[in-house]
Amino acid sequence: MIATLLDIVTSAAILYAVAAGLLIVFGVMKIINFAHGGFLTIGGYSALAVTKLGWNPWASLVFATGIGFVAGMIIERLVVKPLYSRPLDAILATWGLGIIIGQLITIAFGREVQFVQSPMSGAIEFAGASYSSYRLVLVLAATVIGVGIAALLQKTRLGLVTRAVIMNEDLARGLGINSGLVRFFTFSLGAALASLAGALITPLSSVDPNMGVPWLVNAFMLVLVSGVSFMSLLVATVVFGGAQVLVSTYVSPVLGGLTIVVAAAVLMRVRPQGFSRE
Amino acid sequence: MSAASALSVSGVSSGYGEAVIVRDVSLAMESGEILALLGKNGMGKSTLLKTIMGFLPVRSGGSIRVFGDTVSGLPPYRVARRAIAYTPQEQALFQDLTVEENLRLGLRDDRTFDAGLARVTKAFAFVGERLAQRAGTLSGGEQKMLLVARALMAAPKLMLIDEITEGLQPSVIERLAGVLRAQRDEFGTAILLVEQNVRFALSVADSFALIKSGEIVDRGRVGDAGAEASIGTHLSV
Amino acid sequence: MSSAGIQGVAGSPAVAGKARSDFRRVIVFSVVALAVIGVAPYVLDTFMVNSLIRGFLYAAVALTVDVLWGYTGVLTFGQSAFFGIGAYAAGLIFTHVGFSLGYAALALAAGVVAAIVVAGIIGWLSFYHGASPLYASVVSLVLPIVLTQVIYTGGEFTGSSSGLSGFESFDVSMELWFWVAGGYLVLLTAGAWLFVRSDAGRILIAIRDNEPRCEYLGINASRVKILLLTAGAVVAAIAGYAFACAQMVVAPEYTGFVFGTELVIWVALGGRGTLLGPVIGTLLIDTSTSYLSGNLPFYWKLIIGLAFVIVIVAIPKGLMPLIGGLFGRRRGEATVEVPTLVEAAATPFAGLEGAGRLAVELKGVRRHYGSLKVLEGIDFSVKRGELLSLVGPNGAGKTTLMRCLSDGYERSGGSIHINDHDAARLPPHRIVGFGIGRKFQTANAFDTLTVAESLRIARTRIAGPAFFSREATLALPKAALQVIRATGLDAVMGVEAKHLSHGMKQALELAMVLSLEPSVLLLDEPTAGLTKPERTMIGTILTDLVRDHGLCILLVEHDLDFVREISSRVIVLHQGRIVLDGTVAEVVESELVRTIYSGGLHAPAKP
Repeated sequence: MIATLLDIVTSAAILYAVAAGLLIVFGVMKIINFAHGGFLTIGGYSALAVTKLGWNPWASLVFATGIGFVAGMIIERLVVKPLYSRPLDAILATWGLGIIIGQLITIAFGREVQFVQSPMSGAIEFAGASYSSYRLVLVLAATVIGVGIAALLQKTRLGLVTRAVIMNEDLARGLGINSGLVRFFTFSLGAALASLAGALITPLSSVDPNMGVPWLVNAFMLVLVSGVSFMSLLVATVVFGGAQVLVSTYVSPVLGGLTIVVAAAVLMRVRPQGFSRE
Repeated sequence: MSAASALSVSGVSSGYGEAVIVRDVSLAMESGEILALLGKNGMGKSTLLKTIMGFLPVRSGGSIRVFGDTVSGLPPYRVARRAIAYTPQEQALFQDLTVEENLRLGLRDDRTFDAGLARVTKAFAFVGERLAQRAGTLSGGEQKMLLVARALMAAPKLMLIDEITEGLQPSVIERLAGVLRAQRDEFGTAILLVEQNVRFALSVADSFALIKSGEIVDRGRVGDAGAEASIGTHLSV
Repeated sequence: MSSAGIQGVAGSPAVAGKARSDFRRVIVFSVVALAVIGVAPYVLDTFMVNSLIRGFLYAAVALTVDVLWGYTGVLTFGQSAFFGIGAYAAGLIFTHVGFSLGYAALALAAGVVAAIVVAGIIGWLSFYHGASPLYASVVSLVLPIVLTQVIYTGGEFTGSSSGLSGFESFDVSMELWFWVAGGYLVLLTAGAWLFVRSDAGRILIAIRDNEPRCEYLGINASRVKILLLTAGAVVAAIAGYAFACAQMVVAPEYTGFVFGTELVIWVALGGRGTLLGPVIGTLLIDTSTSYLSGNLPFYWKLIIGLAFVIVIVAIPKGLMPLIGGLFGRRRGEATVEVPTLVEAAATPFAGLEGAGRLAVELKGVRRHYGSLKVLEGIDFSVKRGELLSLVGPNGAGKTTLMRCLSDGYERSGGSIHINDHDAARLPPHRIVGFGIGRKFQTANAFDTLTVAESLRIARTRIAGPAFFSREATLALPKAALQVIRATGLDAVMGVEAKHLSHGMKQALELAMVLSLEPSVLLLDEPTAGLTKPERTMIGTILTDLVRDHGLCILLVEHDLDFVREISSRVIVLHQGRIVLDGTVAEVVESELVRTIYSGGLHAPAKP
């Protein structure tokens, strides 16, 4: 019982970490970044590179974030910027980018499944049950990411300007805000967050060049039902992440894997605004 | 038209898509001048402001200069950074942001917030008392005053104000008129007012321009002989 | 280099019998293509023949993606699922039941029925009034993912991840499969070619250009898209079935979303909205893949990915138009085909069957956005033969009121009856059926359609379009013809609407709305941006409509001179409420109205 509850919390935390970057890009740029899965994969392989180089496994988090940010900067300028006015094409182009990233990684690292050294191993006793300590670290990490994004958005000038662009881009431009720069930064930040999430989740499973895809699809559905609110995203990850864990545990793991996409698609049909209040 | 004109529009046409809304408009105003741009709905007043701000491209041939520098062709954020405060008619506030956040967005530099706030609270005391309130929960009149307050935060040299009095009660309109006059007198700010409320416009403005079907049909000083009559014929209901 | 933009405008003579020659061209093309396919197996090596069989079937599915995405604007990643459904219908029945001609027919029927059912469900999920295109794409992505997982859980029954193979199938030569697959593709391409160029096919483009406007022209866009998706599903399922029979193998990859996205990539590279581009693109890429992926396993897919991104960013129309450009421009010629205008037989105006005294009746209509009250307690009714103007300052709620009258979802409360029909919570295309015709403030009907095509779209509800050809005549009601002739639109019937002047666009909008044969006309700022003579003309047409045809017209207008000239009654709105309802004279003389317009009034005064 306690284990299931902890599973729900960690699943929600991981989903939140993965979806947060996608959400911020969607909010500011009104496009769905299908390369998000690719950035997640980049993060996973950054962790693998750290393992291969024999560095401290914790370094992979910093390393992955940096690589993701730089990749995001390059891609925003080359591919995303020309497509501001064509949101459906932006989906396609970022999807193509996902393919390119996957193939580049395959060429560099091979297509086989590989394992990354976990920064910490073992289990700890929690309320009478034993639980993987790294999974609890993930909950902590997701909390830090969540609080970090909230602080960035709520407490800094950059965050204020970003929120202004999300709410009304034309008005923001009329007040002297360079919304192009805000988009540039946001996309890079989203890529960095995806990459960080990728590095965080790899010790739990493994890396392969297509590891980002299932995460992308789930994160994507969560973002769609959340509107552009991080609070709604939190609710959505807990509800859907919880449903996923319950279905996986008590019905079947395969159906569990489908829970989020199916539930989100149906929710959007009956309640198009999803979890957002309006 | 000296090079130092606060705003100088020459031969500007613009519009949406194929439709030409503003036709070959030339207009200049100096620092310390309040100019009322009058005309009925749909005649191109707001379109002209949007064109000055760079939201709409200037059709070939025309140019817009602010304090001598050409701004036509620049994106809106770069126009705005030339000490211009633009107050659009609709959706002009961030409804879901607080009063304070809206005011901060009127600034380029957060460090000047306290100084700016001190200045605007002199004009609108309620702003200082309700910094944490969401802008969307203010009354209609308060929202309009907040708009003007935001525009004043950065001590602008040129203000472009679109239909600020719409739906306001007379007492609020009086206050706004006072604030705008004080801004002109103290800082020499040039203020371009787009108005349907002729009474208000003529009570604050030094000069006026009449726009009809996208063209300037009359331009003069408010006290001039015949000004009232001209405005009357063009704007009669 | 001739300028294509200019040659389309005015004066080009109508090409009579163009539809016929189009038909002949398709037949010639099909015969040539079939002949090439007939000979090819004797020329090509076995490997090539085999990969082309697959290529033909893939291209058939790519064709459905092109019709859905390129023509109708529905980006879909899910057509692979229908291909898989057809394939698994064959694989499952042949493996578990056995093979005979009877079972083969049963499997085909099962695959097609399953595809129709699934397409129906997906259509219901994706296409509803107000659904975002993004959402439809998402659902199309979910479908193959779910289907693949279902196959994985099927264990031995579905063969799980390794699929099913080694089942018995038709005992025919590879050449025959080549001919079957090739013939299927040629017939589909020819049929699709005729369909998208037919009058019915223009509806797809109208939906892509401006779906909401289609709704207001009485077209049930959601239903069109569901039908199209279902047809595409059947085509894909048959292709999948043929694939399973020919290759005697089915695997989860053929239902998966990676295949679904590959289809989109092929279509994008070939050129969306060109039909031939996607077919050629699919054939070229799929056959090159079978040759090259052995030598350059990862680099090949990388090259495809790079090409895809570059095409999307830099040449969004794909490669086909570039290749087409090499053979000279023949497109300009095709757009000048113009039908002859004739007057439609007089029909009673729409919605009047059960009409009582009142054309429009509103009771307690409210519209709130959150806490913002845009309309509050609106009660009024309008009779036929009235020309009612709604005036008031910006933000008074005039346009919102128009929206509430034409879309049952818009109002927050109260009731609206149009010709005694309850508007209830009905979408615009149903309300059009009650007799409403709404002309929008912005004239932006269908950018890529010609004037004649736009008018024909407006007639869809009444006349019903031809499915594989183009009618040589266009029958319009008298009122619409009047507008067209008075404004000179009849001289530019072959010009794309986006090239028209602002005034002409407004006239086209009005003619389109009149083509609906409405009994209640809603006009939002019909004179905005028009010159003085144009205004006068529109005014005359409107008063004629009321006098001669007994229409009821509701008008939102800022130009008070115009209002004064034509109205029989005026309602003044202020801050979401009716403050005055009377004759023109009463309103003009009202001190209240003057106060509102000079901005002095804060709250509506109590009368």
